[in-house]
Amino acid sequence: MGIPPGGRWRAAVILAAAALSLLGGVALAARLVGDRLVVADPDALDPRAASVRLGRAHGALLFREHCAGCHGDDGRGDATNGAASLADHDWLYGSGKTSEIEGVIAHGIRADAPKTWKLADMPAFGRPRPSAADPSLQPLAAGEVSDLIDYLLTVEGRGENPQAAERGRAVYAARGCQDCHGGDARGDPGIGAPNLTDEIWLYGHGGREGIRRSLLDGRRGRCPAWAGRLSAADIRQLALYVHSLPETAR
Amino acid sequence: MTALLEPEASTGPAVWRSPGRLSPQRSLALCAIGALAGLTAAGTALFTARGTTTLIVPAEDVALVNGQAIARSDYLAGLRALYDVGPAEATPAQRRKVLDDLVTEELMVQRGRELDVAAVDPDVRAATVSAVEQAVAADALTRIPPPQALRTYYDAHKDRYADEGVMIVRDLVFTPAAAKAAAQALAAGRPVDTVLAQFAGRDSGRTKGEEFYFAARIHLGAALFDAARRTPSGGVSAPIAQADGIHLLQVLKNRAPVPLSYEAALPSVRDDYTQAAVKRLQAQHAAFLRKRASILVASDLK
Repeated sequence: MGIPPGGRWRAAVILAAAALSLLGGVALAARLVGDRLVVADPDALDPRAASVRLGRAHGALLFREHCAGCHGDDGRGDATNGAASLADHDWLYGSGKTSEIEGVIAHGIRADAPKTWKLADMPAFGRPRPSAADPSLQPLAAGEVSDLIDYLLTVEGRGENPQAAERGRAVYAARGCQDCHGGDARGDPGIGAPNLTDEIWLYGHGGREGIRRSLLDGRRGRCPAWAGRLSAADIRQLALYVHSLPETAR
Repeated sequence: MTALLEPEASTGPAVWRSPGRLSPQRSLALCAIGALAGLTAAGTALFTARGTTTLIVPAEDVALVNGQAIARSDYLAGLRALYDVGPAEATPAQRRKVLDDLVTEELMVQRGRELDVAAVDPDVRAATVSAVEQAVAADALTRIPPPQALRTYYDAHKDRYADEGVMIVRDLVFTPAAAKAAAQALAAGRPVDTVLAQFAGRDSGRTKGEEFYFAARIHLGAALFDAARRTPSGGVSAPIAQADGIHLLQVLKNRAPVPLSYEAALPSVRDDYTQAAVKRLQAQHAAFLRKRASILVASDLK
């Protein structure tokens, strides 16, 4: 009943061939899934489709390899270095469409890449020249910074000094803040200006010192451009995974 | 071994399924499957890989123009930019227009290369230089700086990371005859307005309330700012002679720059570290290009 010695060798060869065929089949299937996803309209993909689920699973692996270093394994970001949380519904750039996420992954943010998102930097109002792009922008006085912080805390519903907040409102309107963050301080996802009225803080945790540092030093967060480093299929699958994070990370 | 080669052992479904026994049919079938798999893999790679001569447009592209791919992402971006639609909602005419524009652009770029427009057009030259520098920078930007390297960078450049100093200072100007007495009166704690009135002085008006050090330096000038910086809160500087009279600085508040902790400075440290790495890489790249290039300089410029 036992397998003869020569038979064992043959059995091993057959098993190896079968394993290789399986691996090849898996690779081919992955390629086909990737191609299928790449050809589709990223915003019209059915999230329940098997190809999308497979793509997201592969995207999760890519996320851990390339993105988790800044955004964390769970995608919740890191406020100490301005890495945005990808697990909420507050999108810094765009409205959270897969195509928009894909654009950010491919071309990055301030990534020194030809099609990168680089429309605005937060000026450093505590420096002699707050903005290299806008030489007319003047630094804020120390008192103006303090009033502005009171105003920002007020629009978020945490204000404690109405007089200072009122002065801060005037500073906000007169010194260029509303040009990017809007008159209602709700930000502009077209240029990556954060909403200042919610409790989500890209840097720090909404304390006076964190806001002060943002005002004095300015902010210019970066995200690398992955086009040319990852394939189009990988970028699409990564985007599908990131798009799913707000739902899955609850 | 002998048993395996017996004819009755090599036939029948039982033998086909038993991996320990020889089956010519199974061997042939597996061989055929292997060959087919190999050919499929090779064919797929050959006809779909980027950069190869191919008759099939790879999935990530929408067209090949003289073998040069037009990326699907550019096509999608074009549809959104021009019509604000995705490919699913775009009409055939919209799709055709965007694709035609991209093909035409690619043909123009290829013709531009043939004509070597980069040799004469300053805009193309600048864009080319910028693109090459960006490509070099990408290596540094996609690398996550190791925490230890950031810490070392912070330690080496600590002076850059400090909270800006703040001061409230009044710049008072007196005649040379009155300056000494006015300084004594201010040091004794007499009200500023009284001293100004008594000694016919004036406030220069250069400063306005609480100011950052850099702003005070700009407003007061280097000499007066240096004197103010050395004067503690509540103090009065020694008389300083300037063209418009003798200046006395009454310093109401003077908070020197406070070094930022590593944690507080981390976003700036990370940014500066990456920028330094980018500059280093670009310099190395430029040096490498120079090293492998043949550069002849005119004799009068040597």
